Order: sequence, then C-alpha cells, then structure tokens
Amino acid sequence: MQRRIPLIIVLLTGIFGAVAFFVPYPAIRNADEIMRNDVQRIITAFSLVLGVGSIVQHHLLKIRRKAQFWPYSYITIVALVITAIIGVFGGIDVTRPGVLPTRVGNFSFHIQTIYSNMMVPLAATMFSLLAFFMSSAAYRAFRARNLEATLLLLAAFILMLGAVPLGRFIHHRLPAFAEWILAVPNTASKRGILFGVELGIFATSLKIILGIERGWLGGGGK
Amino acid sequence: MEKENILIRLQRIDRRWIYLVLWLVVMIPLIFPFKIQPQPTPSVEKLFNYIDTMPENKALAISVDFTPDTRAELQPMVVALLRHAFATQHRVGILTVQVYGLGLAEEAIRQVTAEFNANANTRADSVIYGEDYVFWGWTTPVLTVMLGMGERITNVFPIDYYGNRTETLPIMQHIKNYDDIGILVTIAASAIPRSWINYAQTQFGVNLSCGITAVSAADFYPYVNSGQFIGMLAGMKGAAEYEQLVRERMVKNGMEWVLRNRGTEAMSSQTAAHLAIMAFIVIGNIAFFATRRKRK
Repeated sequence: MQRRIPLIIVLLTGIFGAVAFFVPYPAIRNADEIMRNDVQRIITAFSLVLGVGSIVQHHLLKIRRKAQFWPYSYITIVALVITAIIGVFGGIDVTRPGVLPTRVGNFSFHIQTIYSNMMVPLAATMFSLLAFFMSSAAYRAFRARNLEATLLLLAAFILMLGAVPLGRFIHHRLPAFAEWILAVPNTASKRGILFGVELGIFATSLKIILGIERGWLGGGGK
Repeated sequence: MEKENILIRLQRIDRRWIYLVLWLVVMIPLIFPFKIQPQPTPSVEKLFNYIDTMPENKALAISVDFTPDTRAELQPMVVALLRHAFATQHRVGILTVQVYGLGLAEEAIRQVTAEFNANANTRADSVIYGEDYVFWGWTTPVLTVMLGMGERITNVFPIDYYGNRTETLPIMQHIKNYDDIGILVTIAASAIPRSWINYAQTQFGVNLSCGITAVSAADFYPYVNSGQFIGMLAGMKGAAEYEQLVRERMVKNGMEWVLRNRGTEAMSSQTAAHLAIMAFIVIGNIAFFATRRKRK
C-alpha cells in the first residue's frame, strides 16, 4: 500500500498533466490551473521545509559526531539562520526596511547588502577558478594526438579567435567563419543529440507514469 | 641537449606558473585597458532591432535566470537591455525563475533607474516604478510561472518583489499576459531558456530571446537558427556588442550620458586571456611533439 498509493498518484497526475496540455476544454483548463497554481506550490513549499530540515539535521549530526570538518557545519547553520531571519524580517534595503532593525549608524546589513557583498563575491571567486584550471588543462591536455583531436583543436582555435575582436584583424572573414561553424555543423550535431535526449526523456517519463520505472520511490523495483 | 631540457621542462612546468601568467594577463588589461570596439554580430543585431522597432504598447520582459557566479558575463546584458527599453520608452517587467536572480535583478534595476532618473529633466524622462517598470520577483515552480504568465501575470505574481499587490500597479493594466509582451529575454547560464521554449512559446507563442554564457552558446544555436529565439547574446562579447548598439541608440535619442559599460570594459581582458590560452595550447603542443620526436 505504501508503494501503491504514490504510484496511483503519479499515474493519475501524469496522465492529467499530459492531457491538459492538449485539451482546451474549460473544465480541464481550470483544473490544470488549480494543479499548477495551488497544488504544485503547496508541494514546493513542503519540499522547502524538507530541504531546510534535511540540511540542519545533516550538519547537527556532523557536529555531534565530530565528523571531518565539523566546525564548518556551525558556519553553515549560523549563516542559514541569520540570513533567513534577515531575509524574512529585515526588509530589502535601506529604502524598504522591515520590522527587524538592520542598520547600525551608516552600516546596514539588509538582505541585498549581504547578497551583494558576500554571496556575489564568493560565488564569483569560485567560478573564476575555472579559468585557471582551464588554462592549465589547455596547456597540458589539449594535444593534437590524432585526427579527431586535431579537428577539435582547429575548431576551438577558430572559435576562440572569432570570439574576440582581434579575429577580424587577422582576417575579416574569420568571425563569420566561426559563426558558420556554430550555426551549421554545431547545429546539425546538436539537433541530432537533442532528438535523442528528448526521446529518452519521453520514454523515461512514460515509464515513470506507468509505474515501470520505480527508482524514485527508493529501494529499486521491489 | 639543452634544447631538449627546455622542451621537457616546458612539458613539466609547474601549473602555478600558468596560473600566474593567466592572472597577469587578466589583471593588467583591467587596470590598463586597451580599447576594443566590438563589431555587432547578426544575432545581436537581430535582437536589438526587434526591441528597437517593437510597438510602444508592447512590453519587454527580462527573466534574470542566472546565479552570481556568472554575473560578470551576464549582468551587463541585463543592464544594457534595461537601458535600451527605457531609452525607447517601452514598459519593462522583470522576473526570475531562479531565486539567486533576485539580488542580481535588483542590482541592475537600481543602477539603470538611478542613471535615467539622475539625467531626467521632466516626468516623461524619468522612470517610475509601477508605471514604467515592475519587478515581479520570484516564484516557484518554474512550470507554474511559464504557463501561468500566459493566462494572467497577476495570478502568478500576486505580490511583487517589494511587497505591493501587483493588481494595484498601473503598469499591470497594460501587461496582463504574454499577449502584451513584445519579447521575453531570458538571461541564463543553464538550460532554463529551453524550458521557456517548451512551455511559454509552444503553448502561448510568446516571442523569446536569450542571453547566455559563451560556453553554453553552442547549445542554443539550433533554436536561433529555427527562429524560436529572436537573436541571442552570447557571452561577454555579446553583451559588449549590445552595449555598443544601445550606446549609439541613446546618443541618437540625445542621451549623451557618461555611463559605464562593463561588458565593453572587460573585452580587453577577455581578449588577452583568450590569446594567452591559445598561446598555452601552441606551446604545449610544440613541446609535446618535439619531445615525442626526440623519443622516437
């Protein structure tokens, strides 16, 4: 029963979701709107609670067991609580304050301040590391070892040159040629891949709706 | 013997030297930039021309669907699009289907509205919240937003980012659903633009375009070629090209203001970095082939 009820729900909602997409009948449309605007949002709200609960539980367990890097778990929990409190009660910025005072003299710690001064630089720093790894990889691994690798190398070279304004100084048609590589051979191969991917998604969705694929229930196909 | 040593050493060079060279190559042009005038590509021109000639009663919707890690590349696109819309007197609706996009959208809105309002002489020149633009904010799930906006935007976003009831905003009398949106531009570093096609365009026929990171540009060319996206802004170069077109448009409109164009400013640094990476590949291959021949 524990498995049968979720499978029935998925079967019914899956079929309904697909039917609603193609049938313009008002009753179906209204029901579909309720499903999307109300039911889905309620489910998403529950998943947020589940997510927060899960992350807090995970880090509390790490602290209790003194697992590897456990002191960082304190930072995660403290950051989560402070950001959530400021986000919910502290207002957006100085011009739109909330019920919680988030300003000491000229210093404010509204959610936008936290976001712009902590979240943005931290995320940008992490992402910028990619440039260093890429350059190291380009130097060490990007070798013209065989025909395929040489073709890849040549295409990458042309695209990189075409992507910078310098390309047109080397040859005025170079950016157009780079554009052609993206628009024609790239598009042709991408379309082929996309057809395959979409057919795969379609088949997997059908298997889930019909209860053939039950991995999402946990514990395999029992 | 010495030549071989150099080549072998080049093969085994400490990666920290590569990091240092790249850091210098990125930093020096940022501090001492050399001027690069990007030449607009057809896909950028297509989007620009579409927005430029859009009827005044049609709004521009911008979906800020990226995260702060790609801010350097994508934020200039949001800023340039906002400037373009305000300069051509189009209403703007801003949303995000990615919660991290809220802060980025707010940053861009603040910057561009401050620029326009600081230079405004009359009411008509200024941009006013709730009349000229609206920030719908974020809601979830994605499917609800993309399909719901085709029916009634105020149902999807009953409250805007600042806590106002969207129904009470005058702009919402003019933007009811996709029918009132001339084009929706999604700025993303993920597969979200594809979802906009799958749900919003397939079901409601809304005109779409996208701004994406250079690395994911190849993924979206099929949609540009098929006409599902009206043009595309690819990477920082795409942003710089759009900035250039917007700057020319603003000058034509008598808005000869001194504004920072972050995409254009970063082009010298990006060009230098691309050339450095190409040099790395060439040097790495020379060293590889030379040492391989010696071994044979």
